[in-house]
Amino acid sequence: MKIGNQTSMQENPKRDLSKFYMLEPDYDRAIFEMPKNTQKKIMDKLEFLYGPEEAERSFQEIERIMKVHYAYKPSEMIEQERDLDPSERFSEKDVILITYGDLIRGDDQLPLEVLADFADKYLKGGINTLHILPFFPYSSDRGFSIIDFEEVDPRLGNWENIEALKVHSRLMFDGVFNHISSKSRWFQEFLDANPEYQDFFTTFSTKGAISEDHLKLIVRPRVSELLTPFSTLNGKQSVWTTFSPDQIDLNFKNPKVLLKMAEILLIYVRRGADIIRLDAVTYLWSELGTSCVHLEQTHLIIKLFRDIFDAVAPNVAVITETNVPHDENIQYFGNGYDEAQMVYNFALPPLVLHAFQNGSSAHLTKWASGLKKVSDEATYFNFLDSHDGIGVSPVKNILTKDEIEMMALRVLEHGGFISYKDNGDGTLSPYELNITWYSAINREDSDESEELQIKRFIASRSIAMVIMGVPGVYLPSLFGSRNDADAVIEKGETRSINRKTYRKESLFARLDDVDGSAYKVSRGMGKIIRARIREKAFHPNAAQQVLHISEEVFALARTSVDKKERILAITNIVDRVQELSIETKEIGGQTEFTCRDIMSGKDFVSTGGMLSLSLAPYEVLWLKCS
Amino acid sequence: MAFKTREESDGKVVVIECPVRLDLSVAKDLREIMKESTEQDKFLLVVDMDETEFMDSSGLGALVSRIAATRSNSGDIRLACVKEPILKLLELTHLDKIFQVFESVHAAVDSFEA
Repeated sequence: MKIGNQTSMQENPKRDLSKFYMLEPDYDRAIFEMPKNTQKKIMDKLEFLYGPEEAERSFQEIERIMKVHYAYKPSEMIEQERDLDPSERFSEKDVILITYGDLIRGDDQLPLEVLADFADKYLKGGINTLHILPFFPYSSDRGFSIIDFEEVDPRLGNWENIEALKVHSRLMFDGVFNHISSKSRWFQEFLDANPEYQDFFTTFSTKGAISEDHLKLIVRPRVSELLTPFSTLNGKQSVWTTFSPDQIDLNFKNPKVLLKMAEILLIYVRRGADIIRLDAVTYLWSELGTSCVHLEQTHLIIKLFRDIFDAVAPNVAVITETNVPHDENIQYFGNGYDEAQMVYNFALPPLVLHAFQNGSSAHLTKWASGLKKVSDEATYFNFLDSHDGIGVSPVKNILTKDEIEMMALRVLEHGGFISYKDNGDGTLSPYELNITWYSAINREDSDESEELQIKRFIASRSIAMVIMGVPGVYLPSLFGSRNDADAVIEKGETRSINRKTYRKESLFARLDDVDGSAYKVSRGMGKIIRARIREKAFHPNAAQQVLHISEEVFALARTSVDKKERILAITNIVDRVQELSIETKEIGGQTEFTCRDIMSGKDFVSTGGMLSLSLAPYEVLWLKCS
Repeated sequence: MAFKTREESDGKVVVIECPVRLDLSVAKDLREIMKESTEQDKFLLVVDMDETEFMDSSGLGALVSRIAATRSNSGDIRLACVKEPILKLLELTHLDKIFQVFESVHAAVDSFEA
């Protein structure tokens, strides 16, 4: 079943020159001149981070990097950027597919070629953006321990394969800049005592060099030791490793690290990135005596990256991945114009899950009511699942401890697992829930019909399609993948439950089998995605009004930016029929008006100032009112 | 059925004796026993693993299949006589943080009195 509605194009489509950088810089053309205000913004940040003297040196290098980047731009791109409207960077047409480069594997084809085939056959006209999780050579953590930031893992493909994906899709790359693999050349140079690399990492002479008091303050998502000892040419050194002994934190206190990363960011842009996801960016800057999460310096570095993009790659957006409580998460928007253009809406997945587990939208509705539009240029990334689990830290101030614990226990009942974090005081608390979204929503040992389970799944997914922002879908959820608990035992990693790889031939066959579950799920997903991308009322900047109709539904109204279109989206989150009477004044309608459900085509008429609706179990209505 | 069940503490605790292999072939039975117990308002369950040498992902899934149902009713599922390979599996899947493990069935049953 196709998610999109466009037919496959096997012939070479016309190449849009404004999307692709030149292979070599053109220095015969006018060299980029940094605007004065950009100079000041960058200089101010460098001075704060490194002091005036070092800032001057670093500024010159940043300016050089930007000039080089600009020289790679074709004139068509420069022309196109002049007309760029940042408020239209994201629209209702944007839906992001999250995938590893090799989630689907084929015979005699590189995985990235297989992904291109999949996108060509199933996604066109539905999903317009591909987030290809780190596709660089790596040593662990399924790609997040990068050995070489500038190469494509040859097991996946090459840069040409990435470029080919860009013909039909926007691309999102990972900037995994908090850390680097212990097997990388940079770290090897450190071990070899190359003076150039001595300050690339945060080192201590002994493992016990950080006091217990300081250790307790440091917030980390892992229970492994913070310092990992390594033998170097200069003797034993203990190195800061937030995530694992193989993932060595980069030391951004060294301006050379920052400059290197700025250069790599722009290389990614030249290689096709439209959106850069800053992975684990919360931990970028560490200061003993603090929590070492989202420090001011970290925010300044993200803002500095944004300054660079705004000046020489304005088409490119920054998205921050910060799995922290919601209030802290949205700090990464900055003032709405100077930091991330998009943040992962981390509270959404656990709140939607909680709503469906408990048959109550109370917490979800309350939280969504407080979700504010940040600016015309910044919005939320509304995902429900990804390669990682469902983070629960983001709702620690929204749900009670008992509610979180019960949610986690229900995930266990559904065949999932729980990952824990060290609280720094000898206790552990759930950090994320490892389970596929389909399994989280449905019990495999239930007597329910498959039809009801698919309806429940689609109902849950519909919420991410209507809430303010840009929706994201992890590829296996397009066809309702179930838990892979065997992989957890085999790999010793609970996240493996949702990282199963699929054979191209069998997956394509399943997606084309009209009687199978994969087809039925993908048909439902395709339906809500195609309906979303047609409606201006789902533009990220469209106004949102969350409605408190009943705890057993989740409802909101969206109004297009031009105020001409309005959609009332109602999701029944329980397995019972819902009879609703909504006062038309509550949804901004006239006393008498007609609404059409844009998915079923069914009409509803309000009378006497009331709109009466009957929703079947897990039914989703998107009522376009006139 | 590969499982034997009995009630202790005046019928308040259900003890479930597991077979040598707790795998796909029997996991459904364990799920069923736990489901029936909770449906009969018996929320204090002890899983006796004295005989159990092997457990796979299906067995793990069955062990936790009513963990929320029991705990939300002031009950629990507790394990007794768990052998090293299975303890390692629990550790690997972080379920060691969920289950209280006792050296004997007696101790597990008594723990509900505490």
